[in-house]
Amino acid sequence: MNTRVNTGPGRLLVAVYGVFALAASARAGVQIASKFSEAPLAYTLSAFAAAVYIVLTVALARGNGRLALAACLIELAGVLVVGTLSVVDSQAFPHATVWSGYGSGYLFIPLVLPVVGLLWLFRNRRLGQV
Amino acid sequence: MFSAFSGWVIGAALLLAVVSLVTAIRNRPMGVVILAGLVLVEVALVVQAVIAFPRAGEVTEQATFVGYLLGTIVIPPAALWWGRAERTRWGPAVIAVGAFTAGVMTGRLLQLWNMA
Repeated sequence: MNTRVNTGPGRLLVAVYGVFALAASARAGVQIASKFSEAPLAYTLSAFAAAVYIVLTVALARGNGRLALAACLIELAGVLVVGTLSVVDSQAFPHATVWSGYGSGYLFIPLVLPVVGLLWLFRNRRLGQV
Repeated sequence: MFSAFSGWVIGAALLLAVVSLVTAIRNRPMGVVILAGLVLVEVALVVQAVIAFPRAGEVTEQATFVGYLLGTIVIPPAALWWGRAERTRWGPAVIAVGAFTAGVMTGRLLQLWNMA
């Protein structure tokens, strides 16, 4: 099988990550530029999420499986931690980030995406092409 | 004017997303119909931006509004560039994501516009 990280389903994955990189960066940019002092923690995490999505988009697009794998794990941890904190301690997150409520503002795609990404990367790793 | 036109843009973008999705599910590569649809949607998005941009000052969240306007223009060409090289079902799948995103972003534009 001639599967590679950035072709076939991987191409779709890159497209979705690209959209999230754009959405998260734009959101973080506006938040930090206009009202950073209102919720520094939430907005810093917003920017962190944006950075993770950018790294993942580039890593997957260039077929850098190892970097993508690491970023995917960080992404999964991030959405779980921030999602849980935003539910448990909503005071700390008065303003939404992409990962708030496990990504409920984005159809829960931020929660599903790292799982799909990890499955895709592990599949390729088994095939020995990462 | 903006609201009515945007309604049509959303409809066109979502229709393109559905056609692309069906093509992907039927396991076909991208054809002329999807290409033409994408060009049409892009033209509509550019027209929309030209209409809306001079009046962005009337919207409360200006930065977000302008960001979305620029985003909607960039997405279809990016989707085409990235999806075209893939001559399998995953090509139209990429277009479906791009078209859906453009539709949703136009919906957000409309919300921001109506909030003002």
